Amino acid sequence: MSILALFFIVVSLLSFVAAQLILKRAMEISTTRGLGNSQFVSLAAIGTALMTVSFFLTLGLLQRFDLSYLYPFQGLSVIFVALMAAVVLKEKLSLRLAIGALLISAGIVLVSMS
Amino acid sequence: MQNRPSGFGNPWLQLGLSVACVLVSEFLLKRGATDIAAPDSAFSWTGVNGLASPLVWWAILLIIASFISWLYVLRYIPLTIAFPLSRVVDILVPLGCWIFLGESISALRWCGIALVIIGLALVAKPIAQIEERL
Repeated sequence: MSILALFFIVVSLLSFVAAQLILKRAMEISTTRGLGNSQFVSLAAIGTALMTVSFFLTLGLLQRFDLSYLYPFQGLSVIFVALMAAVVLKEKLSLRLAIGALLISAGIVLVSMS
Repeated sequence: MQNRPSGFGNPWLQLGLSVACVLVSEFLLKRGATDIAAPDSAFSWTGVNGLASPLVWWAILLIIASFISWLYVLRYIPLTIAFPLSRVVDILVPLGCWIFLGESISALRWCGIALVIIGLALVAKPIAQIEERL
């Protein structure tokens, strides 16, 4: 049961992080090439699909666990998204931003632990 | 960061709207999910049975609204800045429970809220300076 839960938590988190990166890329394309661009449409569709998967998996998890148990994992998404945006999208991740993201993640974990 | 529209099209305002929609939807989702919880059914792992709750449908409307403003935000603000800021919702939920529902907040939770606020300040301060210069 707990391995199954962990599996769904990880899949939900991964699809959420991937969706954010893909949607950001899609919106970047839309600023230069417009909303009719086929690359924009396909990326936006993939990103939206991944968000939907993550949404329903979270809804399934919420039926079994308290928000306080699931929240630390949402907190981790801050670090993952910031790191992956720097690595994959080549965004500037200054030390200040990295420390900020880390503190926010740590804070969310603390908030949900108590 | 490029030229940004002002007024309702201001991406920072849209970020705020997106966060507000997520905040309300979190409460609706938890209530809705609890109302129709069926932990004995394997199918309910998919969460699709949650659609039986009207609260979940209201939450979905708000999520779509927040999603649209979020996409708009992504046009103008880097993910490394916008995403950490959007997680302000994670302290607004417990603060909302404290203010409106009279729930107590433990010392540990206050520490967590403080950490998030410091982190948000670190992320937000360079932007405030950039905006001032414009």
